[in-house]
Amino acid sequence: MGAFRAAGMQRRGFAVAAMLRVKKYTEDHEWVELGEDGVCNLGISKYAANALGDVIYVELPELDMEVGFGDTVGAVESVKSASDIMAPVSGKVVATNEALEEKPGLLNQDPEGEGWIAKIKVEHEEELDGLMDEEAYIKFTEESS
Amino acid sequence: MLLPPRCIAAARNAAHLNHTFYRHIAAVRNVAFRNAAQLTHTSSRLLSWPARVADPHSRLQAYISTSPNPVLNLSIEHFLFQTSPPGSRILFLYTNSPSIILGRNQNPWSEVNLSLLSAAPRGPQTEPPDLGAVALVRRRSGGGTVFHDGGNVNWSVICDLGEFTRDKHAEMVVRALRELGVERARVNERHDIVLDQGATRRQSDTEDTHRTPWTDPDAPPPLKVSGSAYKLARNRALHHGTALLGSPNLHVIPDYLHSPAKGLITSKGVASVSSPVGNIGVENGAFEDAVRDEFLRMYAADVEAEVVGEQMLEVPEVKKGYVELKSPEWTYLQTPQFTFSTPVLERIASGQLREGAFTMSVRYGVITSISLEGLPGTLELANFADRRLHEVQSWKDFLHGLDLEVPVSHGHVSLPSFLTSAFPPTSMCI
Repeated sequence: MGAFRAAGMQRRGFAVAAMLRVKKYTEDHEWVELGEDGVCNLGISKYAANALGDVIYVELPELDMEVGFGDTVGAVESVKSASDIMAPVSGKVVATNEALEEKPGLLNQDPEGEGWIAKIKVEHEEELDGLMDEEAYIKFTEESS
Repeated sequence: MLLPPRCIAAARNAAHLNHTFYRHIAAVRNVAFRNAAQLTHTSSRLLSWPARVADPHSRLQAYISTSPNPVLNLSIEHFLFQTSPPGSRILFLYTNSPSIILGRNQNPWSEVNLSLLSAAPRGPQTEPPDLGAVALVRRRSGGGTVFHDGGNVNWSVICDLGEFTRDKHAEMVVRALRELGVERARVNERHDIVLDQGATRRQSDTEDTHRTPWTDPDAPPPLKVSGSAYKLARNRALHHGTALLGSPNLHVIPDYLHSPAKGLITSKGVASVSSPVGNIGVENGAFEDAVRDEFLRMYAADVEAEVVGEQMLEVPEVKKGYVELKSPEWTYLQTPQFTFSTPVLERIASGQLREGAFTMSVRYGVITSISLEGLPGTLELANFADRRLHEVQSWKDFLHGLDLEVPVSHGHVSLPSFLTSAFPPTSMCI
């Protein structure tokens, strides 16, 4: 079903695709960015990267792993702290950022870019609707600190 | 479900601890335990415990465990972490029976001498003293490996990520220790608590929890008495620490925390930083009281500490975490990928030794490859792959009589014996 929808989207052209690429944030401080192909990039937010401090280890999910909404898909260790990376969407892990295994510090340097963690082929795109856009997320982090 | 006798035993243990705080709560709970034991179903009080933890109005909560079971205590702690409402601050105190607690992303084979964990007596008294069964547990927080026993009280504070700092609650514990007269206690740059070893008293601000009158860079290194570790998730932060108050086992801890494979394992993940440790010399009950008082003072409220224990296993979410934490899958398969490599020697016909290298790669606790280099045509090892490392019961059988030796400090040992000491079958370690 996800594949049909993704194919449909590609035909709709750039304007819609650009809208779909809006980055969303979770209350667990992850970001997801859905591409036209129904695959979303997943990472942790700059706010989270700052709170974590120097990252020394990233445990990536296994390729092809089926993840459910809220499942743990990885772990990060920094300054004696373990944090889980949760899947804010259900789907299948189609890529992981293996560069993080050698250079976990990428998560601090560029958490919302080169420090992406995994790509997930999304099963239910509507799960993304409940997430925050950047403005709402910034407000959320300001309120909780 | 009938409550098992262990609930009563737990209450009795609590009553044995000769301390006012403990006596008070134990007395209160003894009644509850007795009542609960008479019921054929889980008491309503027990059923309501998760609801009380989750109550959005429970802004400050304090708990103390009567159980010495490290897996249970860590599971209760995890439940509090996951269930307590946003904005709340939780204190949890517990003491475990002898156990080794690994950090979330650590390697048990490089951190621990696993063959010492067996419950079986290990021969003559000239061997390093053994403590009987020592549990091995991978906790959910980060950081390094620690040893727990009855002389170590664990303290744990849960709060919102927004107000969390890595020092905040270590400072709280330092203030509690200073209330007990432990003036040398301070928080160090690794967020641990140490006792300064300076010889002479100097001028120092008594409010400064990062400096004491005995802070002296030229003195012997401070003794670590409390190690910190953290778990961050869902906008909440958990900070827990050990507090070595009066462990009788300090002299054997290095034996347990020294793996025969250390130095031969190249691992991703987190390696422990070893530090000289010491006992604070305070009674458990006095420490528990002081930490609770400081916690309540810090957050300007007054709540009673509630006793928790074995009966919390009746709570399904606690049980779920307990089963996971106790599983070999969690303990071993969560190990970050690593490679073990050792030089090996083969005796050839002339009596000479030919040197090679035995290398084993492990990912998610599963052997992904074994190779032998420098020894031509010795063995085809590819079929050993895909076995779970902790499930290898006999290295001798596993290696099909591969006749190699490993150089060690006092000579040579056979490769299977060496591998058995470094990677013992798990039936030997719990």
